[in-house]
Amino acid sequence: MSSKSPIVASRLVRHFGSSDNPVRAVDGVDLEVREGEIFGFLGPNGAGKSTTVRMLTTLLRPTSGTAHVAGFDIVREADKVRRNIGVALQDAAIDPLMTGHELLELQAVLYGIAPASVKPRAGELLERVGLTAAADRRVGTYSGGMRRRLDLALSLIHEPTVLFLDEPTTGLDPMSRVTLWDEVRRLNKEGTTVLLTTQYLEEADQLADRIAIIDGGKIVREGVPRDLKAQVGAPTLLISVDAAHNDAAARVLGEFGDMRPTTEGALAVGLSAGARAVTDVVRRLDEQGIVVHHLELNEPSLDDVFAEATGHRLEGEK
Amino acid sequence: MTSTMTTARTVGSLRQTLAMSKRSIMALVRQPALVIPSITFPLFFAALGTSSFGRATGLPGFPKVDSFLDFSLAGTIVQGVLFGSVQSGSALATDIENGFFYRLLASPTSRLGILIGRLMGAAAYGAAQTAFFTVLLIPFGLHVKGGVPGAIVMLVSGGLTAIAIAGFMAAMALRTGSSEAVQGVFPLVFIALFFSSAFFPRQTMSGAYRHIADANPISYLIEGLRDLCITGFTASACAKALLVPIGIMVVSFALALRSLARRVAAQ
Repeated sequence: MSSKSPIVASRLVRHFGSSDNPVRAVDGVDLEVREGEIFGFLGPNGAGKSTTVRMLTTLLRPTSGTAHVAGFDIVREADKVRRNIGVALQDAAIDPLMTGHELLELQAVLYGIAPASVKPRAGELLERVGLTAAADRRVGTYSGGMRRRLDLALSLIHEPTVLFLDEPTTGLDPMSRVTLWDEVRRLNKEGTTVLLTTQYLEEADQLADRIAIIDGGKIVREGVPRDLKAQVGAPTLLISVDAAHNDAAARVLGEFGDMRPTTEGALAVGLSAGARAVTDVVRRLDEQGIVVHHLELNEPSLDDVFAEATGHRLEGEK
Repeated sequence: MTSTMTTARTVGSLRQTLAMSKRSIMALVRQPALVIPSITFPLFFAALGTSSFGRATGLPGFPKVDSFLDFSLAGTIVQGVLFGSVQSGSALATDIENGFFYRLLASPTSRLGILIGRLMGAAAYGAAQTAFFTVLLIPFGLHVKGGVPGAIVMLVSGGLTAIAIAGFMAAMALRTGSSEAVQGVFPLVFIALFFSSAFFPRQTMSGAYRHIADANPISYLIEGLRDLCITGFTASACAKALLVPIGIMVVSFALALRSLARRVAAQ
């Protein structure tokens, strides 16, 4: 593991309950999040995602194992870790009696921001997350999406290099979810390393450069989503052609892999050489004079990856 | 260099504690439903006592007073401060319940600052209640014989008493993490007040009631405040009004610190 990586965990374990009969919420997690990446921590409720994040953000002491965040030991140098990370936790409430502006100012003081910089920084962040108009309203009147955006702004007050987002879009409507994704991408482009936990496959797929799938407190798969899906099986190429060319097209597709069942009027093949074979398929069809009306390449989903790794599906378990 | 860094850290901690105090005061101001009982109930008891027990001032053992209102001010202040301090503990427990406490723990703010900020907020409210009760009752015939110096000591005593009681409530909040558990202490606070010299002088009591009132430190706190009002600015009155809450504060703060350490370590 690289010592320069902003998040490095080694055999991280956390037990809850009595020592006679402990519940192993996190059971030997090894993790490395590289500088400048968005790392998705994917798993169902109770898998150990939030417990891992709480340890990495110094809110929970590990039972055993070690971790370094932003270059500091999470136990021995907890205060230095806190100064260098931004944290938006799913279960850390925002005081409903305070206004957005007041909360940002309080957060600025807690992070030791110079008094002269507090107001400008708060204003800048409110603008960034689109809450300027609601800045002087009490948070109790905010919608779920507005609260999450404020939560994100709060976590950015001290311009952290590493950002932890614990289920940032849980419970949000699709529009708010997309807005938050855009903001996370923007932050990442500006150089912030992001670790986000999620139980949404689409979120991990859309945002994360790499993901780790956690189940029962253990990481069961880790890697680039595309590679993980490729390991599960060949991508499916779906085409539709004139009915008169169906047989000829099927023969061409058969050269590139096993035919797969699909809807009437379409043909599907599992590309044994992977997605890169698509150009060859198109060239061969063209050589045969077959006009393609529709072409679609479907990768295996992360749910397939999850199911292959754990024996059960994530979709439907939320 | 080291001393500059230490000074900067101290100034930073002070800023954080003040910001936390401001937040706890703001929470009270924005929730009138929490403030109103701690203002109206003591005033109700003061009004009831003054209108109903005026002739009791002639009983043997009753201190020489111009009116029952002069006698009852101390009880009114302590009653209000006790009620207000329960709210302070309850608010800390609510922070734990809803997770705001963990937002604070995730920041580099001092853990002690979280507790002290809350207690300072309670102190400010306690002092404000003391000032409010005193100023409000003057048009109704209240005389503070201790004058301005006496009133200042009363104000400080109100703030210290608030810290002392809020310390116990904070310890409870940190131990249980439940606002219901903290609110559950309210009847005990009320009992402690009744078994004191809040409503009648100890000299007029007898039997077990007198023994409990004699052993109850709240009796001496109230008598100190009362002496400032009805006797004048004396050393013994100041000592009782200030040293009793300081004594209670030492115990309650130690308990709160222990509970804070346990809660943080349990994370």
